[in-house]
Amino acid sequence: MKRFLAWWTEERRAYLLLVLPGVLVYWAVMAFPTIFSLGLSMTNYNGGVIFGNPNIQFVGLRHYLRMFNDRYFWISLKNNGLIMAVSVFGQIPLGFLFAYVIHRKLIKFGDFFQTIIYLPCVISTIVVGRLWQSFFSPYGPFTKFMQRFQPGWENELAYDPQKAILPVLFVILWMYTGQYMIIFLANLQKIDPSLIEAARIDGASEWQVLTRIMLPALSGVIVTACILAISGSLKSFDLVYAMTAGNPARRTSVLALYMYDTAFKHSPNYPLANSISVFMVLLSFILIVLVRITEARFGGREE
Amino acid sequence: MKTTTRIRKTDFHPALKIFVYTMVLMFAVLTLYPLYWLLISSLKTNTEFQLNMTGWPRNPTFNNYPTAWRLAQFDTLFLNSIFFTVVSTILVILFSLMAGFAFAKIRSKATPFLHGSFVIGILLTLQSLMVPLFLMAVSTNLYNTRLGVLIPYVGMGMPIGIYLCTEFIRSIPDSVVESARIDGASYFRIFASIIAPMTKPVAVTLAILNVSGVWNEFMLVNILVSSDALRTLPVGILKFSGPLASDHGRQFAALTIGLVPMVIFYLIFRKQITEGVSAGAVKG
Repeated sequence: MKRFLAWWTEERRAYLLLVLPGVLVYWAVMAFPTIFSLGLSMTNYNGGVIFGNPNIQFVGLRHYLRMFNDRYFWISLKNNGLIMAVSVFGQIPLGFLFAYVIHRKLIKFGDFFQTIIYLPCVISTIVVGRLWQSFFSPYGPFTKFMQRFQPGWENELAYDPQKAILPVLFVILWMYTGQYMIIFLANLQKIDPSLIEAARIDGASEWQVLTRIMLPALSGVIVTACILAISGSLKSFDLVYAMTAGNPARRTSVLALYMYDTAFKHSPNYPLANSISVFMVLLSFILIVLVRITEARFGGREE
Repeated sequence: MKTTTRIRKTDFHPALKIFVYTMVLMFAVLTLYPLYWLLISSLKTNTEFQLNMTGWPRNPTFNNYPTAWRLAQFDTLFLNSIFFTVVSTILVILFSLMAGFAFAKIRSKATPFLHGSFVIGILLTLQSLMVPLFLMAVSTNLYNTRLGVLIPYVGMGMPIGIYLCTEFIRSIPDSVVESARIDGASYFRIFASIIAPMTKPVAVTLAILNVSGVWNEFMLVNILVSSDALRTLPVGILKFSGPLASDHGRQFAALTIGLVPMVIFYLIFRKQITEGVSAGAVKG
C-alpha cells in the first residue's frame, strides 16, 4: 500500500484523469467493436442476448468461407476498387492540377474556382446523392442534354446493371476532387516562394519548377492523399445508399452497403455481417501498410 | 517581379491553358448548374415540373417549402442535428485538449501506446463497424437513445482531435508548465488557466472539422435510431425525398432546406474550413 501511494503521485493521477474520458469513449466505439465483431464473426450469434447466452457456439471461419463464395461480395469489392481507382487516378491528379494552377496564379479567378470546386465537400452526401440521382434520372437535365445530341436517346442508367455505377463514380470524382485540391494547395503554400523565384530567374521552365521543386517537396503529401483516398473509398456508403441503394439488382453495392444489407435487410445475418466488418478493417490496414511500404521503397525524399 | 510574370506567361503552353480552363469551368458548371436546377425545380408545382423539367418556372411558387417543412418535420430534424452537433463538438474539443495536454506535457510510459491507438483510429473507417456498433447499442440498451448516438459521435471525433491537440500543445514551451509547477499549481489548474486559453486556434479548427462531420453524418443515426423524434437532417431528408417520394417540387424544397445551412456556414468560414481540412489531413 505504501509503495502504491508513493507511485500514485499527483502527476500520475492527473495524467489518468485527463486521458481517461477520451480513451474510454474512443475505445468503446472504435477498438471494442473491432474485437467484438472479430469474436462474433466466428460464432452463430444472430440476435438476442449476447452475454451468457448458452446457444452461442463457436463455428470457426464458416462465415468467412460463405462470404468469399457470395457473388455480391465480389461485386461490392469490385465497386470499392473502382471507387478507389477514381480517387487515386482521378481526384488526386485533378486536385493537384487545380491546386497547382491556382497557387501559381496560372488562371484568373483562382479564388472563385477554389470556392466552387470545394463546395460539394461541405454539402451533406445525402442531399448530393438525391440531387444527382434526380439529375441523372429520366426526368432530369442529363436526359434532356443527351437527347439534344441524340434525339430519342433513352436513359437506362438506372436499369442497366453495367452502366449504373457510372453516375456514382462521376459524382464521387466531382465531389471529392476539391478536398485533394485544398490539401495540395495548403502544402504548396508552405514551399518557400523565393526558391521558385530563384529557379525562374536561373532560367528554369514552368515544367522544371513543377518536376524538380514542387513534386519532390510534395511527395509526402501525395502519399497522405493516397492513404486518404484508400480509406475514403472504403468509407463510401452514404452516397451509394442515397443514389442507388445498390440497385439495380445490387450491382452498385459497395462493401459497407453489402454489410448493411446483410444485417438489416430481410432476415438478418449478423455473423456474416460481422465477417464483412472484420474483412473491411483488415483490408484498410493492409492497403495502408502497402502504400507505406511502397513509399519507403520508391518514395521521395521528404524531410 | 515584373520579369518573372512575363516569363511565366510565355511558357504556359496555350493548349495546356485551354485544357486547364476547360477543366475548371466544367467543375464550376457541374456544381452551379445542378444547384440552380434544384432551386428552380423547388419553385414548381408537381404538375409544372412534369411538363417543364429544366426550364424557368412559369408560375414560381414558394408553397413547396412550408409543406415540405411540415411533412418532413424539419423543426425536429433541425433541433436534433443542432443538439448532436453542438454537444459532440464541445465534448470532442474538451476531451481532446485534456488528453492532448497529458500526452504532450506529462511524462508517462503509457503515452506511446495510448497516443498510437488514436493515430490508428484516423484511418479506421467507422463504416466498417456499423453492424458491431448496432449490436452493441442494442445489447447495452442504448439503441434509440440520444446517448447512444452521442457516444459514437464523440468517439469518431477523437482521433483527429487528439492528434491536432497533442501537436499543438507540444509546440507550447515546456517552461510554461514547469514554472507553474514550481509555483505549486496542480496539473488541472495549469490545464484550465494556462493551457486551455492558449489553444483557441486548434479548438477552432477542431470545431469546424467536427461540426461539418457531424452535421452531415448519416449512417450512424440511420442504424442507431428508429424513432422519428431522434432523427437528424440527413436521415429525415432521405426519408422524405427518397426513392419513394412522388412530389418532385416538395422533394426539391426539402433538399434545398438541407443544403442551405452548410452552404452559408461554408461561405462564412471558408478560410477556416479550408485550413481545418488541410490540418486534418495529417500524415497517416
